[in-house]
Amino acid sequence: METVIKQSGKTQVFKDKANKVMGISLEDGKLTKSYLSVAFLAILLGGILGLVQGLNRAGMLELPAWLNYYQVLTAHGLLLVVVLSAFFTIGYFYAGLSHTLGGLLPKVRKMAWIGFWMKIFGFVLAVIPILMNEASVMYTFYPPMAASPIFYIGLVFIVLGVWMCAFGAFINVASWRKRNPGKHVPILSFFATGVFVLLFFGSLPVAIEVFTIIPWAFGWVETINVMVARTLFWAFGHTLVNIWYLTAVSAWYVIVPKVIGGRRWNDLLTRIVVIALVIMNITGGFHHQIIDPGISEPVKYMHVFMSLAIGFPSLMTAYAMFAVFERTARRKGGKGLVGWYKKLPWGDVRFLAPFIAMAAFIPAGAGGIAQTTNQLNQVVHNTMWVVGHFHLTLGMSVVMTFFGLIYWLIPYVSKRVLTPQINKLGVIQTIIWTIGMIIMSGAMHWVGLLGSPRRTSYSTYFDNATALSWDPYLFFLAIGGTLLMIGVLMQVYAVFYLMFFAPKGNTEFPIAEVEEDEAPTPRWTERWGLWVVCMIVLVGMAYVIPLVDFMVNAPPGSPPFKTW
Amino acid sequence: MMKSPVYGLLLLFALMLPPVANLLESIMITHMHMQMPLLIISGLFMAKFFQHRFPEFFSKWNENGVPGLLLFSIIMVYWSLPRTMDEALTLTSVEIFKFISLPFLAGVPLRDSWPKLSSFWKHALIIFFTILFLALGWLYIWSPVQLCNNYLIIEQITLGWGFISTAFAMVVYLIYSYFVDLSKYE
Repeated sequence: METVIKQSGKTQVFKDKANKVMGISLEDGKLTKSYLSVAFLAILLGGILGLVQGLNRAGMLELPAWLNYYQVLTAHGLLLVVVLSAFFTIGYFYAGLSHTLGGLLPKVRKMAWIGFWMKIFGFVLAVIPILMNEASVMYTFYPPMAASPIFYIGLVFIVLGVWMCAFGAFINVASWRKRNPGKHVPILSFFATGVFVLLFFGSLPVAIEVFTIIPWAFGWVETINVMVARTLFWAFGHTLVNIWYLTAVSAWYVIVPKVIGGRRWNDLLTRIVVIALVIMNITGGFHHQIIDPGISEPVKYMHVFMSLAIGFPSLMTAYAMFAVFERTARRKGGKGLVGWYKKLPWGDVRFLAPFIAMAAFIPAGAGGIAQTTNQLNQVVHNTMWVVGHFHLTLGMSVVMTFFGLIYWLIPYVSKRVLTPQINKLGVIQTIIWTIGMIIMSGAMHWVGLLGSPRRTSYSTYFDNATALSWDPYLFFLAIGGTLLMIGVLMQVYAVFYLMFFAPKGNTEFPIAEVEEDEAPTPRWTERWGLWVVCMIVLVGMAYVIPLVDFMVNAPPGSPPFKTW
Repeated sequence: MMKSPVYGLLLLFALMLPPVANLLESIMITHMHMQMPLLIISGLFMAKFFQHRFPEFFSKWNENGVPGLLLFSIIMVYWSLPRTMDEALTLTSVEIFKFISLPFLAGVPLRDSWPKLSSFWKHALIIFFTILFLALGWLYIWSPVQLCNNYLIIEQITLGWGFISTAFAMVVYLIYSYFVDLSKYE
C-alpha cells in the first residue's frame, strides 16, 4: 500500500515559483555558461578542421606540408566527440540540476569547477602532441598505433575531470532526496543521474586501457595485448555515444513537449527507458568489433542480441514522441489522420531543430541496426558508410537537439531573452544544417557502399577506375561540409549573441508536466543501487568469456607502431 | 492472476528441449551461470501455484522462511560442485535430478521464504553466497588440474572469473545497502 508516492508536493511548487521569479543563481549560471562556451568554441574549431578534412578527402585541397590528414582527423574527432559532447552534456545537466533541485550545493559547484579545469588541462596536454604530429592516432586511440605518452596523460585528466562532475551530480541528487523524503527525483535530474552513472562506469574501462597504454607508450613495457585494449576502448566508445544520445533523449521527453505547449509522456515509462538504457549500454561496445579477429563467432552472435536489445528503449522513445506530438496537436484542434501536424509550432526553432533531429534518428537508427548484424557489417565496416552513419546520429540527431536547446538554455543562464531575429536565424541555420548533413552524410553512406574506405586520406590508387568513380560522391561530401561550416558559423554567432548581447529579461526553463490523470510512479524506479548492480552483472555476462579468452590465449603482444 | 506459474512451466519446458539443453550445456559457464539460474527462475514463477495449492504445508514447514532458505542453499551448494556438473552430463538420472531439484527444491522455497525473512537473513544469504562465489572463483581459476572431465581448463578459468564478477556485483550491492539507508528517502 506504500508502493506509490505523489508527484508534486508543496515544496516543489514553492521551488518552482522561486525559480520562476529569480531564475538561476548567478554562480550556477556562470558554471553552465563556461561549459557551453567551451563546447561551442570546440564546435567552431572542430568544424573548421572538418571542412579542411572534407575538402582534402574530395581531392580539392592540398594540405600544407606541416599538417597532415590524420592530424586533422584526430583533432576533429577529439574536439567534437570528446570536448563538445562532454562540455555540453555537463553544462546542460548542471543547469537542469540547479533548476530542478533548487540550486547546486556550494561543494558540488566547486567540484564542477575543479572538473572543468582538469578537463581543460587534460585537453591542452592532449592537443600539444597532436599539433606536433606526435599523436595522429585518431579519436579511436587504441593500439597498436601509439601516440606520445603526453597524449594519454592528457586523456587521464579529462576522465578525472568527468568523474568530478559525475560525483558532484550524485552528491546533489542524494542531498535533494534526503531533504525530500518520499518524493521522486525530478525527471530531468533523473536523466542526469542516468547519464552520469553511464559517464562514470563507461569511462572506467577506458581508464584501465589508458593506464596499460602509458607504460607501453613510454617504452617501459615492450608489448601490449591489442584485443584487450580494443575491447576496453569500445566498452567506453559505445557508451560515450549513448551518453549524448541519452542527453538528447532527455530533451525530447522533458523539454520539447513543453515547448509545443503539451504535456510529457508517461512518467513511469520515461523512467523505464532511462533505466533500460543505463543497464544495457556498456555491452553494446562489441558491435564495434564485429570484424575483430580473436572473438569467436558464438560470442559475436550473442552480442547481436545484446546490441539489438538497446534498440528496444529507442523504439519506445519513437512511439512516445509521436504520441505526444499527436496528442498535443489534437488538443489544439488538429484534425485528420496526419493533418494535425499543421498545429505544431514549425516556426519555433526550439521545436524545429529537435524535431528534425528526432526524424533523422529514424534512418540513423535503422542504419545502426543494419550495421549491428554480422554479414551487413562485413560489407560496410571499413568504409565511409560508417562515417556517414555517425555523422547522421551525432551530427544530426544529437547535435541538432543541442542546437535547439541553446535558444532557451543560454538566455536562461544569462538572464536574457530569445529575440525573433535570432529565432529566424535559428530556423535558417536548422534548414542549412539539415540540407548540408543530408548531402554530406548521404554521400558518405553511398560512397561507402561503393567501397570507398574510411580513415584514409585522398588517393586515386594509381587512377584505378573504381577509385575514380568515387569522386563525384566525394564532391557532394565537400559541398555538404561547406554548408555545415556556414551552419557552424551561424550557430556560434547565435550562442555568443544570446550569451552576451541579447536583451535582458527572464527566460523560463521549460519542463513539461505529466498528464493530470496519470497513475503515480512506483517507488522502485528510484533504486539506482540496484540498477547499477544489474548493469555490473550484465557487463560480467558480456565480457567475462571474451576477456578471459584474450588473456589466457593471448598472442605475443604488439610493440608500438607509428604509421604516419 | 495465475499466469506466472504457466510462464514458469513453459520456461522449464523450453529449457528441457534437447537442442536448448545441449547448447547451454556445451559451454561450462552457460551451463552453470545461465541454465541453472534460469531453472531456478522457472521455479520462482511456479511457486505461486504450490503456495495456493498447499498453503498448509508452507505455513507449517516454512513458518519463518529459514527452512526454505536452508533447502535453497543446500541445493545451490550441491550444484556448485564440479563433480555434479560432470555427472549431470554423464548420467541421465542426475540430469533429471537437476531439472527437478533446481526449480522445485531451490526456486519454489526461495520464493516462499524471501518475504518471510528478516533483513538479517536476507543479507546473511547474500554474504554467504558472496563468500562461496569468491571461494569457487578461486578454486576454478587457480586449480592446477582439470576439474571436470567434460570441460577444458580454459572454460574452467572463464567460469572462475564469472564467479568473481558475480561476487563483485554482490559486494557492490552489500556496500550500497550498508551505506544507503532507504528509510531516509521514504
